[in-house]
Amino acid sequence: MADSTEAVVPDQVLPDYSPAVVIDRVSMRYRVKSSDRNAPDEGSAVARRVRKLLGRQPTVSIKALNELSLVVQHGEALGIVGRNGSGKSTLMNIVGGHIVPTSGTVHASSVPVALSVNAALVPDLPGEDNIILGCLAMGMSRSEVSRRFDSIVELSGLDKSIHLPMSSYSSGMSARLTFAIAASVNPDILLLDEALNTGDAQFKDRTKRRLDEIREQAGCMFLVSHSLTTINHMCNRAIWLDKGDLLMDDKPGLVTRAYALFTGHLAKNEYEQAYRIRDEARANLVATQIVDRTAGRRRVEA
Amino acid sequence: MVATNADEQEALAIQALSVDKRPLMRIGASPSFLDYLVQLWDYRHFSVFDARARIRSGNKRDKLGSSWLFLNPLMNGLTYYLIFGLLLNTSAGIENFIGFLIIGLFMFQFSSRAITNGARCIESNRGMVQAFKFPRATLALSINIRELLANIPPVLAMMLIIVIMPPTETISWLWILVIPAILMLAVFNLGVGLILARLIARISDVGNVLPFFLRAWMYASAIFFSYDRFIDHPWILELMKINPLFNTVDIIRDCLLYDRVPSWQSWAYLILVPLVVVSVGIVFFWRGEESYGRQH
Repeated sequence: MADSTEAVVPDQVLPDYSPAVVIDRVSMRYRVKSSDRNAPDEGSAVARRVRKLLGRQPTVSIKALNELSLVVQHGEALGIVGRNGSGKSTLMNIVGGHIVPTSGTVHASSVPVALSVNAALVPDLPGEDNIILGCLAMGMSRSEVSRRFDSIVELSGLDKSIHLPMSSYSSGMSARLTFAIAASVNPDILLLDEALNTGDAQFKDRTKRRLDEIREQAGCMFLVSHSLTTINHMCNRAIWLDKGDLLMDDKPGLVTRAYALFTGHLAKNEYEQAYRIRDEARANLVATQIVDRTAGRRRVEA
Repeated sequence: MVATNADEQEALAIQALSVDKRPLMRIGASPSFLDYLVQLWDYRHFSVFDARARIRSGNKRDKLGSSWLFLNPLMNGLTYYLIFGLLLNTSAGIENFIGFLIIGLFMFQFSSRAITNGARCIESNRGMVQAFKFPRATLALSINIRELLANIPPVLAMMLIIVIMPPTETISWLWILVIPAILMLAVFNLGVGLILARLIARISDVGNVLPFFLRAWMYASAIFFSYDRFIDHPWILELMKINPLFNTVDIIRDCLLYDRVPSWQSWAYLILVPLVVVSVGIVFFWRGEESYGRQH
């Protein structure tokens, strides 16, 4: 954490600086319909009038993520903590390329691969066909798919059920299969969502082993988890998001401690203490500003 | 909840980090059009496998399975034969009305199924779209390959009906020309499906008016009446010839029923119109590529 005296660090270039992910002024707003008739409609004047005429619900925009800049380097494992609705998943989805931010850009040294747990891929098809389709969708060749097929089936732990249509799977089975498919590659930039903790003990053990392998080989990892022990254990940097704002960006131990204190006070309805911790964190935050270094000139991207 | 001033407070300290973005790639940016085409080619195994796997498992919920592809136009044929052929007598002056009707209905079913499914390719593959990153146009492609493959047995059955139902027709070398005619119709279906897919992904209401347009299109394609009724309106005739469904049906009828070699103009339209439509479709679809993963 920086003192106020060294608050503005001059344009710095570290010698071993190899950014894996550069998040530059990213923000995200969703536009959704509100059932609150009195909610201020934020559409254009024409759209507003049309909706009023049709008696439709007003559209409001939700700030999922306020402007945020971050640079994550190779060798860094970034843990992300925050309450529900703090923007963790939004950030992960933006970095994974699944949603396009309202403003800002994300650059990365390779395509980030998300290991999130999904519902059924193609419900009508049996698990084995879903494996092949999923692998092809990740860009594997047919021979690569057949080479990895057996290990994916084994990792999924589905045995004979692999021949049944995916629509007949329990949500746990679906999750295991999707994970096994996505985990069959070794990505350089890995995005991990906490939901992976689902599953029975035997599967957990197998997943953990595979995850450890992947993590060892990944150059960089983003991890969202409600388990602070997991964050402390697996990460060497952590950020705390709250209501779409970045509050803290520091060593995992410090971040998880502040966050644990904050949620502890909230659980006991001690709002004043809780918000004091939050405000303190925010006041001490050193926000990142990305300066684009292109050949020949330096400019601050507007 | 206790609101605090800090809610609006900006961060006090700022560190500037100089980053060279040139060696990095932008996430979420859609590829250039040429790259997109190359990617589509790279993902061809995905399209083919997807198409074949779904045919294998298709229509599982129905007891009669994929025979519905054949039974459906047949039952439609019977209905239209009764209403238009016998009651309204639109069949006047049409030689071999049953064959005429059957060809029209089988081709219409092929097109309308391919276009409807192609238009829904994003929403019917939510799971795949959310789980993996791949060029989304492959989904429309695989649906059209699937519809093409699934329609081979019904088309063969259609030919069989034409051979055995009186008035029987004889098989000639012209029957081979059915293949390019159907292939070009499939290309047209793909183009229309791609255009509609982006529209539906943006404004889902389009999906609700689609069946209405398809129905209107069927009536405009001379499925159960002869285009001779418009012989006095040359511009309507010209308009109909641009309509690939009418043109394809017309060519197939000439080849299978009337033993006529279709005119070179028909062939020119047959090849040109689908190629234009599919080019427009793929460019239009590609321009929306970034937006298809969005859930809101």
